[in-house]
Amino acid sequence: MGVPGHPLDRMFNPRTVAVVGDKGPNYMWLRNNQPFRERGGNLYSVQIDEKEIAGIEELGVPNYPSVAAIPDAVDYAVVAVPRHVAPHVLRDLIAAKAGGAAFFTSGFAETGEELGIELQERLTVMARESGFNVVGPNCMGLYLPKVGVRFHPEVPVAGDGRTGFLSQSGTHGIMFSLVMGAHGLRLSRCASFGNAIALDIPDYLDYLTRDPETDVIAMYAEGVRDGPRFARALREATARKPVVVWKGGQTEAGARATMSHTASLAAPHAVWRGIMRQCGAIPTDGLDETVDVVKTLLDAKPATGKRFALMAMTGGQSVSMTDAFAREGFEVGPLAERSSDELASFFNTVGGSFRNPLDMAGTVQGKVEVLERILAILEADETVDAMAMEQSAMFGARQWKEHPERLDALLDALAAHAERSAKPFLMVMHPAHEEAYVAELRLRFAERRIPLFPSFERAAAAARALPHAIRA
Amino acid sequence: MTFADTVARARAANRALLSEVESKAALAAAGVRVTATELARSREEVAALAEAMGFPVALKVVSADVPHKSDVGGVRLGLAGRADVLAAHDAIMAAVGAARPDAVVEGVAVQEMAAPGVEVIVGVTADPQFGPVMMFGLGGIMVEVMGDVAFRLAPLGAGDARDMIDEIRGRPALDGARGRPPADLDALADVLERVSAFAAAHPEVRELDLNPVIASPDGAVAADARIVLAEG
Repeated sequence: MGVPGHPLDRMFNPRTVAVVGDKGPNYMWLRNNQPFRERGGNLYSVQIDEKEIAGIEELGVPNYPSVAAIPDAVDYAVVAVPRHVAPHVLRDLIAAKAGGAAFFTSGFAETGEELGIELQERLTVMARESGFNVVGPNCMGLYLPKVGVRFHPEVPVAGDGRTGFLSQSGTHGIMFSLVMGAHGLRLSRCASFGNAIALDIPDYLDYLTRDPETDVIAMYAEGVRDGPRFARALREATARKPVVVWKGGQTEAGARATMSHTASLAAPHAVWRGIMRQCGAIPTDGLDETVDVVKTLLDAKPATGKRFALMAMTGGQSVSMTDAFAREGFEVGPLAERSSDELASFFNTVGGSFRNPLDMAGTVQGKVEVLERILAILEADETVDAMAMEQSAMFGARQWKEHPERLDALLDALAAHAERSAKPFLMVMHPAHEEAYVAELRLRFAERRIPLFPSFERAAAAARALPHAIRA
Repeated sequence: MTFADTVARARAANRALLSEVESKAALAAAGVRVTATELARSREEVAALAEAMGFPVALKVVSADVPHKSDVGGVRLGLAGRADVLAAHDAIMAAVGAARPDAVVEGVAVQEMAAPGVEVIVGVTADPQFGPVMMFGLGGIMVEVMGDVAFRLAPLGAGDARDMIDEIRGRPALDGARGRPPADLDALADVLERVSAFAAAHPEVRELDLNPVIASPDGAVAADARIVLAEG
């Protein structure tokens, strides 16, 4: 797999990884990459500090005094040396024809100091002249869940991820990976690229666009160096798969912050939004929204229109749910006459309603076959483009804990509907007083590919991405 | 005179701002409809040009030292006859003389009045990272105060111009609010596309403003134009 022949293919599919300059007592990078070694990858250390070598070897990692001394061709290196040493390490990596290297080392142009700027310029010139794949500096580097290359000790190792993530920020790269995991979603590949002196968003984007293991691309960007090149790469990507772009520094104060963070300039918010729309990308404003949109793209069927049928358990929820979806520009209108007639034949209208939004707890009364009947009627209704259903933990949690088989039956029914239906189906479950319990439930919904959201607002915002959804 | 000649002449004079006449000539050559504008260098010439053009006309002061003409009383619109035109000419000269006594006044531009319609703004700004960015919004306070404006990279692709027009919140105004007939949106989209192609072909343009463009059932006509050159 991967993209054979692509300039980034070796570092994105490494068989040999070198960690340069890791230090005790934690040996953060060697520990992060233990899963790579456990999966048969060649993990090596480069360290000349005698005090550190015993600790490195205790971790089972062979240590060498230089990159040149490593017996295998290095596909990817993580460099964590002091900044003034970085140019020397880069020179050795270039000489060794390594596939690429991430420089965790910081203290470059982002500091605004003369020395930092000068060192960054030296690295930039070396990378440019040699065409070497420098990731960063001032970054967390690559996270390759399938082969076990990681930038944090708790991000999942898994081979089934389908989402590629690019991040100018290391924290957002790690947070996105962890939060996706907590939602039962994995990544295919991730790059945190910081100051991006050599490889920049268009280079990584080009790889993910061609990568058969990546179905959805998301990114966190603060600024763009070569705007036209970025726009071209984005257009090429969105022609093949959905691309979600979370922009940092959208406010004036935020834009000032991006300057000191990664030394990049930021286009004003409105200009950025216009460019995103023109390039066919899906813009988002934050971490949770980005996760919600990716979840929707992966697990919902694509929508062909804006008419939602909303299924709530109570009257109050049906009103709030309708407000949230209408605010995002969706239509919540009357159902087809045939649907209304059918629903009227069995609906309990005392304290309930079969008009869209449906208020249906009194009719369903926990009976899955009644829910299935309602879903089938809405599925057949040509005035309905998409469906969303609400079930809060306020009512659900207690009975599901007492009767787990009821939850199983509900999940089976919803998963079967979502699979069979041609229309998107979104589930909203407010955790109410059961945060921890719902966090577990979230994984079960994810396994069954039922996109679950904790609030009407988050579901409705994510629903804007439905036209780009890819589930067949 | 080609646009390259205009740019060369402006640079030779150390001038970044092109005059309305120069800006309109460049845009007319790019296929954008502009209101006819001719420069009069005397009071008599003002009246003669107005009569030749046909009433009503507008008068605008022409001076590189007065970039914001209406702020100093340098613009008079809807002048219906020879007497009005002469009186307006005198009023403009007096007002500009009072506000900017040092300004070198080249003359007064006599302009045809566009048919009534909705005033919109078409602009180009040079983004430091993305290059020329197109801007579209409704005239008046909608752009500046309300921020109701759509942006795209130049040159615009197929469908981009209509998408910009559809994006603004004030979009219904173009459908004929208050009993007005709807504007010709294809003509408006055409203006956006031609301006975007012009901007993309001329990186020496730092800013371009058509403010206003009058959008009506008869088409879209730029009633004023302003081009600022990048440092040469």
